Amino acid sequence: MGYDWDFSYVFKNQGILWEGFVGTIQIATASLFLGLVVGLFLASLRMSKYRLLSIPATCLIEFLRMTPLMVQIFWVFFALPILIDVRLDPFAAGLIAFSMQSGSFFAEVFRGGIQSIDRSQWEGAKSLGMTNLKMMRRIILPQAVRRMIPPLMERSFELIKGTTQMAAISYSDLLYNAMVLSSQLYRPVEIMTFTALFYLCFLTLISFGMRTIETRIEKARE
Amino acid sequence: MIEVKKLYKSFGSLDVLHGIDLVVEKGETVCLLGSSGSGKSTFLRCLNFMEHPTAGSIAFDGKLLGRETGLHLDATTYKYDERELSRHRASVGMVFQQFNLFPHMTVLQNVMEGPLTVKGHARRDCKTIARHQLERVGLIDKSEVYPSRLSGGQQQRVAIARSLAMEPDVMLFDEVTSSLDPELVGEVLDTMQELSSEGMTMMVVTHELGFAYHVADRVLFLHDGVIAEQGAPEDVLKNPKTDPVKAFLSGFNNFHF
Repeated sequence: MGYDWDFSYVFKNQGILWEGFVGTIQIATASLFLGLVVGLFLASLRMSKYRLLSIPATCLIEFLRMTPLMVQIFWVFFALPILIDVRLDPFAAGLIAFSMQSGSFFAEVFRGGIQSIDRSQWEGAKSLGMTNLKMMRRIILPQAVRRMIPPLMERSFELIKGTTQMAAISYSDLLYNAMVLSSQLYRPVEIMTFTALFYLCFLTLISFGMRTIETRIEKARE
Repeated sequence: MIEVKKLYKSFGSLDVLHGIDLVVEKGETVCLLGSSGSGKSTFLRCLNFMEHPTAGSIAFDGKLLGRETGLHLDATTYKYDERELSRHRASVGMVFQQFNLFPHMTVLQNVMEGPLTVKGHARRDCKTIARHQLERVGLIDKSEVYPSRLSGGQQQRVAIARSLAMEPDVMLFDEVTSSLDPELVGEVLDTMQELSSEGMTMMVVTHELGFAYHVADRVLFLHDGVIAEQGAPEDVLKNPKTDPVKAFLSGFNNFHF
């Protein structure tokens, strides 16, 4: 039996899908930036020489990395408001969950990058009389950042794909709006196919952009 | 210039240095010899606090480093302030076995880095200083090259220039020729010999007996974390008095003065 494809439904109602796409971009960029901040913060705590800081940070990072994102989103959206008595809209709940989880992955990328720099570099810098801060800024970070960029981009890519899970708490991202639309029009085949192709193009574009950046870095390294 | 009293260093339960006393005069070149594991590198690294001594005092130019905290065996223990140690390290040059150059900087930038970020000199002045030091080690034509493009010997000379750019009072050399191909050892030793003859105060951990014999004013022989023998090179190297030194030197049976 042949299905009668008709994409005109999609194009007539594309406004709601674009709105959803804007929603996707918003949650993704906001979580990315906040996640990087959280990551820096958690990484510096975890690398602290004070155990009072490093142990809790390690536990938090591992907890966030070892629990499913969807559970975290549901926990922040449904459980947290009861505990601290605030009303969280889906965007705020998603932002907290995403930035905390990405932050914990980013933290490990930052830590890994810094610790991958050979001890001899620290000693060379130290022997010149550099303080820890100067060593970090002038010697360690410039070398570490280059190594951090590929895994950071990989994680960011995962984050963008993960934003579809926001649909589960009725945040109007591209996927959620597509679901709403298809339940109104009874045209899930066209709408979901279109949505999948839309994600494909969007993510391919981003992936292409990231690869361009990576090759540039490789070249700069000689 | 350098005054060390009862220096002890242990790593956990492993005792590496057992109370070393040493005075080095200004302009003196002292070579530290000894088999591996004798503690000579550890001793050197304590002098600029790459390792913190377990106990014992270290003074440079009559200025004692750290603050007394207690006793360990017969020696005083000290607590050190990181800032004080950074200032101290800025006045003591150190050259490493593995060069430890900064791979993301050109040769010139490597040599400029100390005066620029530690001393805070103007970029133009740092360039002048760096060029001068690179000329001194004969590598001015490699200024704009990255370290990875240089031979081991050239890298080590850049590392020496980088230390000298800080205008240190003392230079510490930690087995600086040990990872070089044999044909590259000479150029580094020549640079060091020149430095010694210009009156730099130098402490050199080395296996190059020829260098020790011809360049050092004094040699120290470390064995099991203590100074087994010390004196003028011709005395210690030609007429060793103690068994460990005799055993060590007999390992170099193809060595002639």
